[in-house]
Amino acid sequence: MSQAQEFFYKLPGTPGGNRPGAHRSRSVGSGMSFASHRKLIDQPDPRRLDLRASLRDVRRDWLVKVYRQNSSVTIQAIVDVSASMHFGGTRSKLKVVEDFINALGYSAFRHGDAVGLLAFDDKARDDIYMPPRTNRGAGITMAETLAENTQVATARKGSLSGLSDCASQLGAASSLVFLISDFHMPLNSLSAVIREFGGSTIVPIVVWDPSETRPPDKNGWLSVRDAESGRRRQLWLRDSTRKQWLANVSRRRSELTEAFTDQDIQPFFMEGEFNPEQLTQYFMEMVS
Amino acid sequence: MLANISFDKLPFLLLLPLVLLPLISHRRDALSYSWTQLLPQDPVGKYVEWLWRLLALLTLLSIIVGLAGPGRSETHIERIGKGAEISIVMDRSSSMDAFIHRNGANPGKLTSKQDYVAVRKQMSKNDVLREALGWLLTKRPNNRYALTLFNSAAMRVTQFTDDISIVQAALDASDIGRGPSKTNMGRGLLAAIEAFEGRSYSGSRVIMLVSDGGAKLDAKIREAISEGLKRNNISLYFIYIESSPNSPNLELVGTEVDSTLEEVALHKFFSGLDVEYQVFQAADPESLTKAIQRIDEQQNLPLTYLERIPRTDYSQWFLISAMILCGLLVLLSMTQRVNWQ
Repeated sequence: MSQAQEFFYKLPGTPGGNRPGAHRSRSVGSGMSFASHRKLIDQPDPRRLDLRASLRDVRRDWLVKVYRQNSSVTIQAIVDVSASMHFGGTRSKLKVVEDFINALGYSAFRHGDAVGLLAFDDKARDDIYMPPRTNRGAGITMAETLAENTQVATARKGSLSGLSDCASQLGAASSLVFLISDFHMPLNSLSAVIREFGGSTIVPIVVWDPSETRPPDKNGWLSVRDAESGRRRQLWLRDSTRKQWLANVSRRRSELTEAFTDQDIQPFFMEGEFNPEQLTQYFMEMVS
Repeated sequence: MLANISFDKLPFLLLLPLVLLPLISHRRDALSYSWTQLLPQDPVGKYVEWLWRLLALLTLLSIIVGLAGPGRSETHIERIGKGAEISIVMDRSSSMDAFIHRNGANPGKLTSKQDYVAVRKQMSKNDVLREALGWLLTKRPNNRYALTLFNSAAMRVTQFTDDISIVQAALDASDIGRGPSKTNMGRGLLAAIEAFEGRSYSGSRVIMLVSDGGAKLDAKIREAISEGLKRNNISLYFIYIESSPNSPNLELVGTEVDSTLEEVALHKFFSGLDVEYQVFQAADPESLTKAIQRIDEQQNLPLTYLERIPRTDYSQWFLISAMILCGLLVLLSMTQRVNWQ
């Protein structure tokens, strides 16, 4: 397992809970952003005594400044471990996901956030599970759990109902949910499933492999079996089929983007490898 | 035609259901792909795959059928011809190499060089006889012929056959060299009779004995010949080629010919047999041809015989086609992508 790469993330709004962390929250405590004034009687903290405000006060009370505390959030990674995720030209897509999970664990630890793992194929996978944790090794544990339980390729389909299973297992506390999948599935019930996640910020990470999206260069006969349905497709690779292939991929990409944009969500596309800088940039653009 | 197809090793046909293997679509060499809906629809690819299946099916079929060893089984075709089964018994002793003389002229007494040259141009009895028999062969190709030569011993050159080219070749071969001086006609005749032994009677049977002289037959052989001819119902034609002006005229025998001569004794023995017998006297090529024409006219009854057609093996064609099909399969498979790189 390679050295975990860190990425930065910010969330819109005030998602934080009670535990101190890196995100804006509504909790009152030691922080930098001013919230209001309170009477010294109610908030006996003479260090924050605001003399000017106290002088201006009509009722002649001593007023103390109250700040909002930066808090931590709970992050959930929900990974699609269906048969299609085992596919990959040089590395399987699940290996790329492991890289990401590793980086996520490290980044979450650096942000002081708890991170947990869930997985699904056609339903929630109980064997691949980690409750939200804040410890330093959470990312490594999650990546190992994922690797150990996906050694044997399954023939199970990934589906939105499996994802919905996972959503029902989440507590209300999760603020940031990564949906990691190739989304090679019908998207009919997407809006309903997204709604199940409530107010959480959802980041769909679309994991594709270069072998999927770019046809082989050489002409010839390509006999292909679908990893999930077992259906066969015979192709005689030539310029026209290659063009059609690329067109299909870009159409799917826009279909996915459109389906998520309808829910006010931007998908993050990850092809072949995990690039932490791109993900950081994604969060910066999302919040600013 | 198809009904005659037979198989050498029939159990191999039990493998025939294997030809359906290519139609079962669980191909292991198909590359796994995450979501085939992303891929374009390609009719050409489908045709290529069906071509592969078809080739594989035909290959298996050819191999299995080839292994089973198909062939047209040996058959006998019944043919009906006109004529007879003619066994030619030909004297091949040295006297037959002598020139046949014309109009009583004696080739031994040459008066001038021109005469000598003329004599050289003459043909030996053998040549004339061969020519006349060759004519008979071409005239009556439907007959079945056997050829037996005899001098000091009998040589059965060909069995009964309706392939006149074989008989013709045997006749041509008798031209080579000179024969020994002894003549053992009895053995020649017995060998010819023996050739008829055990054959079904499918048409009139003729032994055509061609000789330029008589032979002494002892009592034992006479009895064997007499019995053999009778048992097998064989007609005997004796073509007697006159060697010299002093040769007896056998056609007139019984009135004024000296009966101590070998030829006459033979003729008398043949006449006394209980079978159809005729003698033809031939003094020169023309009369010899005439004699054979007369035989031709007489033996013209319908002849039924079975022709044997040997087994033809087709398995090599199936194996060759299997090889070619395998080559095509390899070519097609070479175009197939085996990985994503």
